[in-house]
Amino acid sequence: MSLVMLENVKKTYITEEIPVPALGGINLSLEAGTFVSFVGPSGSGKTTLLNLIGCLDKPTEGKLFFSGVEISRMNRKAAAQFRGYNIGFIFQNFNLIPVLTAYENVEYPLIMVQNVPPEKRKNKILNLLEKVGMAEQKNKYPFQLSGGQKQRVSIARALVSEPKLVLADEPTANLDHGNAYNVIKLMHAMKREFNTTFIFATHDPKIVGEAEVVYVIEDGLIVDSHKNKSAVGGTSR
Amino acid sequence: MNIIKIAWRNLLRYKRRTLLSSALIAVGVTLVIVFGGIGNSFKNEVIGILTNTTLGDIQIHRKGYVSSIDSLPLDFTIPEQALPRIETLLSNDSDVKAYSERIRFGALISNFSQTTNMRFTAVYPEEESETCPGLPKRIKEGDANPYTFIKPGWIVIPQNIAAGLNLKVGSDAVLVATNKDGSVNGLNLRISGISENILGPQGKDGYIHIDDARSLLRIESGGITEIAIKLKNFGTLAKTYSRLKNDLSDFKGPQASNAPGTKNGSSPNKQAQAGGSILEIHTWEELSPFASIAQIVSLLIIVVRVVLIFIVLVSILNVMVMSVYERVGEIGTIASIGTLPSRIMALFLTEGLALGFLSAIAGSILGSLTLLVISASKPHFRFGMMNLILTPQIPAGEVVLALVSVVIISLMASFQPALKASRMQPVEALRHV
Repeated sequence: MSLVMLENVKKTYITEEIPVPALGGINLSLEAGTFVSFVGPSGSGKTTLLNLIGCLDKPTEGKLFFSGVEISRMNRKAAAQFRGYNIGFIFQNFNLIPVLTAYENVEYPLIMVQNVPPEKRKNKILNLLEKVGMAEQKNKYPFQLSGGQKQRVSIARALVSEPKLVLADEPTANLDHGNAYNVIKLMHAMKREFNTTFIFATHDPKIVGEAEVVYVIEDGLIVDSHKNKSAVGGTSR
Repeated sequence: MNIIKIAWRNLLRYKRRTLLSSALIAVGVTLVIVFGGIGNSFKNEVIGILTNTTLGDIQIHRKGYVSSIDSLPLDFTIPEQALPRIETLLSNDSDVKAYSERIRFGALISNFSQTTNMRFTAVYPEEESETCPGLPKRIKEGDANPYTFIKPGWIVIPQNIAAGLNLKVGSDAVLVATNKDGSVNGLNLRISGISENILGPQGKDGYIHIDDARSLLRIESGGITEIAIKLKNFGTLAKTYSRLKNDLSDFKGPQASNAPGTKNGSSPNKQAQAGGSILEIHTWEELSPFASIAQIVSLLIIVVRVVLIFIVLVSILNVMVMSVYERVGEIGTIASIGTLPSRIMALFLTEGLALGFLSAIAGSILGSLTLLVISASKPHFRFGMMNLILTPQIPAGEVVLALVSVVIISLMASFQPALKASRMQPVEALRHV
């Protein structure tokens, strides 16, 4: 069974009473444990597609299924609960909570979303911070971290709730090439470690090559898709 | 890490704004507590003086007496045959500490060369001292013994009368009074004490032994115009008043011989004779104009409380609206991570609540300390003819009320911004990053 399946998904925004189509009918099936990239220029519909898969928005038409469950008609509360247990997010601007330390940012979903008891949290968080190379920076606040470090914390936060799927919208857009490469490499490693499906949107051709499956999106439609056999998790740069 | 910790850190994130709002709320709470403490101290001090020196806590009269009190009528007496029942009633009441039967009348006092008018209260000293324990302490010259300050043949006069008529302790004076039948009589008496001018705006109230009053007014027995009652606990005033009022309603119309006003054929007590109670009962509040001042003080305290409510409302609302506005992107992030709308709401409500509650605690401490300083310095001032010493206590009720009010208003003020935050669509909110 596919982890994510989209059936003729369309999304139209209404701007000043004028309908603006963002997605024009997407059919897609993504297997679990893959490393997928949506590629396309700005405004092509990548972020809209991620938002729909991530239960952050609802399609105008069509259906979305996650592990066989339709997620396109969930109400706000059900969608939030669903995201909290099934989907992790990595943002272009890192979006760490500024008043929390690196450790606390990673801890946040376990407390505020999943209500995990303290004794079960600590090892899990420290282990994850260790894996993303941020164990020594765990007590630092976001303003004390570099962009690359922030994104590492962000990856740990996305993975701490053990989601089946991690969505990353332009995760390397605010990083230099070296840091961008390291972040992609880290995401690859995490995918292998936790067998988590990663979907990221990018228009950076240099990191597209790291994806196992690439979907090219233009004007709200998938115009091309291919498997990238050379993607092995950052062994080349 | 929990909601409270996150809320606290978010408050510290905008230190200047939080401090400013917090200071405003704290000052508001301080003002409420200080004003409440001083206002209540002033009220209690004056009420204490009035009830402990002249009025007692409750008074019983013949029906219609209080409405004619300016002329101190002698024909509105409590029926003699009703007195034993009233005495039994009061003696058996567990909330009544003491009572004093009085005859109040107007008289002329003369030093044999000059004459002026006075109001006299005729009492038994033991009963009066039990009922108004502050009275003997107000006697500044002469016998101030609570059990002997009034003896047969002696009177207590206020300082201004003593000064005006050049009377001293031991001086002779003549009292001339008209009895209820219109006959005039005089009595030679001696000054036993001179009291402070606390007993009325003109300070023309004196004391005489009840036996002398009966002799002067040619009353063989009875003739009691009022019974002043002292309660064991002033806090039971309303309850005791209500109970006594109910008990006294059984005292139905008097026999014809005791009915007042029969001389000229018009009875001021027709209602009583028609089957209603012949007695009336009043708390000190109904007998003293200070009750209105006390009400104004209470009203001012309420006004200060209302001002506090507005301060809290505007301060918290401002902080929370700004907080939500500035953190739209962050709200989008926590919502997308999976935080339930109810938790997002709880987070912002906690912030508003923490700001209000901690500020109120700070204000309560500051207010209580201010009251302690005022109480320690014991400021005194004159109010009318009374020397008042303010020793404000920390008004526990006021502190609790202020804390509870601030908490409730904080929640109310935070509600709209918190609701707005919880209802944000994650996609829309994330665009603000």
